[in-house]
Amino acid sequence: MVRCLVVDDDHEIRTSLQAFLQRFGMEVTAAADGAAMRQAVAATAFDVIVLDLMLPDENGLALCRWVQEISAVPVIMLTAQGDPVSRVMGLELGADDYVAKPFEPRELVARIHAVLRRTQKAEATPSAQARQVVRFEGWTFDRLRRQLLSPDQVVIALSSAEYRLLSAFVDHAGRVLDRDQLIDLTRAPGVDVNDRSVDLAVSRLRQKLGDLPREPRLIRTLRGEGYLFDAQVTG
Amino acid sequence: MNPKGEPRGAPHAGTPAARWWFRDTLFMRLFLLMWAALVVSHLVAYLAVTSGRPPPGPGGGGFGSASLPTFPSLPPTPGLPDAGRPPGPGPGGPASGGPGGPGGPRGRAPGLPAHMLVLDYGVRLLIIGAAAWVGARWLSRPVRHLVGAASTLGTSLGGPEAPRLDETRGTAEVREAAQVFNRMASELHEQFRSRGLLMASLSHDLRTPLTRMRMRLETVAQEPLAQRCVADIREMNDLIETALEVFRNADAQEPAQHTDLLALVQSLADDLIEQGQPVTLAGSSLVARIQPVATRRIVSNLLGNALRYGVRADVSVRAQGSWACVTIDDLGPGIPEAQLKDVFRPFYRVDTSRSRGTGGTGLGLYIVRDFTWRQGGHITLSNRAGGGLRAELRLPLR
Repeated sequence: MVRCLVVDDDHEIRTSLQAFLQRFGMEVTAAADGAAMRQAVAATAFDVIVLDLMLPDENGLALCRWVQEISAVPVIMLTAQGDPVSRVMGLELGADDYVAKPFEPRELVARIHAVLRRTQKAEATPSAQARQVVRFEGWTFDRLRRQLLSPDQVVIALSSAEYRLLSAFVDHAGRVLDRDQLIDLTRAPGVDVNDRSVDLAVSRLRQKLGDLPREPRLIRTLRGEGYLFDAQVTG
Repeated sequence: MNPKGEPRGAPHAGTPAARWWFRDTLFMRLFLLMWAALVVSHLVAYLAVTSGRPPPGPGGGGFGSASLPTFPSLPPTPGLPDAGRPPGPGPGGPASGGPGGPGGPRGRAPGLPAHMLVLDYGVRLLIIGAAAWVGARWLSRPVRHLVGAASTLGTSLGGPEAPRLDETRGTAEVREAAQVFNRMASELHEQFRSRGLLMASLSHDLRTPLTRMRMRLETVAQEPLAQRCVADIREMNDLIETALEVFRNADAQEPAQHTDLLALVQSLADDLIEQGQPVTLAGSSLVARIQPVATRRIVSNLLGNALRYGVRADVSVRAQGSWACVTIDDLGPGIPEAQLKDVFRPFYRVDTSRSRGTGGTGLGLYIVRDFTWRQGGHITLSNRAGGGLRAELRLPLR
């Protein structure tokens, strides 16, 4: 039974969300403001908190930070600010996910489940926790904004395919990955990922990283085995 | 830059002229400048001309005893009878050994030899020319500041701060102009901000009732009308989000960064191709100083339009002079010539039915133009000869 805390100042949103989530087998407590949230968190251990950004008495982001300091509970921010920049900021400031109002209720449920899965996995293997900004060989890989910053500070945007591929490489730096593994790691809903598309994404990524096509240094091809991301990853 | 002759103690930064005997006005500055130029040109010309001559002996020499021209006489001119020459030792009788030497022709001013005259005129011309050039730059400096501030006014409207001119420097006329400009800029700025804030809070506050409605619809999800209501909520939300974007962009003033424009366009094109959309891209890597997030939105909107109205999008990225150019061609019906400018207006739809099936919110091109202008760029739409629309985006390289 998942214990969920919903914090929102609108009465009807609170009650309807509570009823909706209960249909999915969650035990839901509702709080109307920051003070009520603090009381609830002190009294019970929750598995996930759904927190509205705009509360009457306190800033939602401040509450989010406070909660994360005292426990490892994942927080999903619920907010009327749906733009990419606010999303990035919210995630940088410690929220685990960021859902814009008006949300698709089923999507909120899916994200709650996703966040719970991620938290469980993180507890099992703490090193697998994804970092937001990662550096290698003078490059900066901003996972939130999905872009690269070259050693001479030029912003280089990444397509979804390149982003998924680079994420896979960075998470498995120094290890050989064959095509099947890469296909698996770069899967995306609604997208047909195959050998060809992986090769294409690799060559695009090499181009963007300035890796020479004849003698690639960062993304090496190992004949018969696969690709190797040969770089020291920090951050 | 103070020309010589301006009294010390002329007001600089700080309180405007409080001295009764010297008010810093355009008249005073011009007067002092001209006076100084005249004095200096006379002095220098005299020195230049006399430096090559032997010092005039007593009563002798071709120059006579007119050793120092008085002010403001004409420079000695051949042909003019004694007109500008100062009274020498009297136009008296020949016996007095008058100017020009004994027996010299009277009534005819000896004047200066031709090359000396040229030197004299030449030096004066140069000095006065130099003074005029310095004066023009000095007196027009406040106008240049005004031009600079006025040209940034457009792009800074809606942003956090309005441009300001210094109200304490310059002549009285300039200070007055600066005060008026500052008042105007700050009023415009206030208007824009409050309008933007109104729109932002309106859009923001609409999201709460929309959320309530969405939650209610979930409890009657099986009703046939429910899905259509959900679609309407999504449409309203899109409109709110788009409207908010305009305000956010002006408010945030995203800093320009060196960005690989080809990579940016290519990443958007690749994402569309991955979804099966017909997009082609040609071009060479080029780095421009642009706002990455805003430019992403611009190109994304243009690509979206090309695909929605024009079947396919053919994109090219190249440098032209000091501009980075992104051209997007499509194969659609284009836009009627008369409406090519109108389409940039907010909420303008070519399809007057404003049906959702045929188009979007009507804000896409407004955002494209607003985001482009704020970076000092240009956007042009034109109909192609073979059919379809061409959108040309130009952004500054540096």
